[in-house]
Amino acid sequence: MNSMNATAFYFESSMAQESTEIARGLRRRDPDLLDRLIEQYQHRLLRYLVHLTGRRELAEDLFQETWIRVLERGHQFNDKYAFSTWLFAVARNLAIDHMRRKQPASLDGLMNNKDKEGAAPFDPPETGRASAFDLTLQREQNEYIAAGMQHLAAEYREALVLRFQEGMSLEEIASVAHVPLGTVKSRIYRGLSALGPWLKGTPL
Amino acid sequence: MNNANNNDAHERARRLIVLAAPETLSAADRFSDRLSDGSSSNAWLAAHLETCASCRAFAENAGEAIRRLRAIPVAAGRSLVSTTQSRVRRRALELQRQRERMWLVAVSCTAVTLCALLSTVALWLGCEWLGTRAQLASSVWQLGFLVFCVVPALVAAIALLAKDSHKHLADHSGSYQG
Repeated sequence: MNSMNATAFYFESSMAQESTEIARGLRRRDPDLLDRLIEQYQHRLLRYLVHLTGRRELAEDLFQETWIRVLERGHQFNDKYAFSTWLFAVARNLAIDHMRRKQPASLDGLMNNKDKEGAAPFDPPETGRASAFDLTLQREQNEYIAAGMQHLAAEYREALVLRFQEGMSLEEIASVAHVPLGTVKSRIYRGLSALGPWLKGTPL
Repeated sequence: MNNANNNDAHERARRLIVLAAPETLSAADRFSDRLSDGSSSNAWLAAHLETCASCRAFAENAGEAIRRLRAIPVAAGRSLVSTTQSRVRRRALELQRQRERMWLVAVSCTAVTLCALLSTVALWLGCEWLGTRAQLASSVWQLGFLVFCVVPALVAAIALLAKDSHKHLADHSGSYQG
C-alpha cells in the first residue's frame, strides 16, 4: 500500500514538474519546446480533432491552428493542470469557432458533411503480421465503429474519444468540455449506448 | 412496482459499467471478475451481474466497443507535423520581432515624453526670465510661450497634410493618365 502511494506521489510530482517546465517554456515561446510538444501530442490531438469534426482535412487545418494558438496564448496555461487538458480545450474552442462561422445553428451540422475528396477521415489500419482475413475483418469492424462514431452527435463523440482513446478522467473531460461532471457521465453513457447498433451483430 | 425497481437496477448497473475505469471495461477477461476493488458500488454491480445476463452482455459489448474504438487508427502524417513546426517557428519569429519593435516604440515614447517635459519646463522658465528682463506683462510672455509651444506642432501638421494631399493628387492624376 505504501509503495503504491509512493508511486502515485512520484507520478503526480513528476507530472506537476513537467507542467511547470512546459508553462515556463510557453511563456518564453520556446520554439524547441513547441517542436517537442507537437511531436509528442501529434497523434492524440489529431485523433481528437478528427473525431470532433468528422473530417480529416478540417482536422489537419485545426491541428495547425491549435499549435499557433498554443504559441500565442501559451502564457495562459496554468501549470496546476495537465498540459493535455489545456491543449484539448484550445483545440475544442477553435473547432467550435470554426463550426460557428460555417454553420451557426448547430455543431451537429458537421456530422453530415462527407469529405469532399471522398477520402475517409480515418487512416487505413497498420498492416502487421495478421492474416489477410484477420486484416479484412479488423478493417471491416473499424469501419463499422468509425461509421457509428460519425453518426453520433459531436458532444458524444468528444466524450467517448476523451474517455476511451485519451484515457482522461471524468473531471478532466469536464474541464476540457466546460460542462458539469454529471453531463460528462451522461454523454459517455448515451454515446456508448448509441454505438451499440454499430457493433455488428452485438447491439448494446 | 417490482418492474420499475428492476429497470432502475439495470439502469444503475449499466451506468456503473460505462463509467468504470476504461482499462477495467476494455480488458479481455470477464468484466465482473475485474470488479475487485471492494467498493460498495462495485460489490453491488458484481452481485447484479451474477444474476443478470442482459447487463453482463451489455458489459462485454461495451468493452468490445471500446476495444474497437481504440483500434481505429488515426495518425498524423510526417508532412503535417513538419509543416506545423515550421509554421509555429515562423510565427514565433514574427511575434519576437513584433515584441522587439514594441519595446523600441515604448523606449522612444518614454524618451520623447521626458524630453518634452524637461524642455517645456526650461522653455517656461526661459520665457519668464525674458519677460521679466523686458518688463513685459505676464500675459504677453505667457502668450509667447504658448505660440512657441504650439507653432512647431502646427507647422509639422500642415507640412504632413500638404505632403499627403500632394501625393493624393499625384496618384489621382496618374490614374487619370493611366
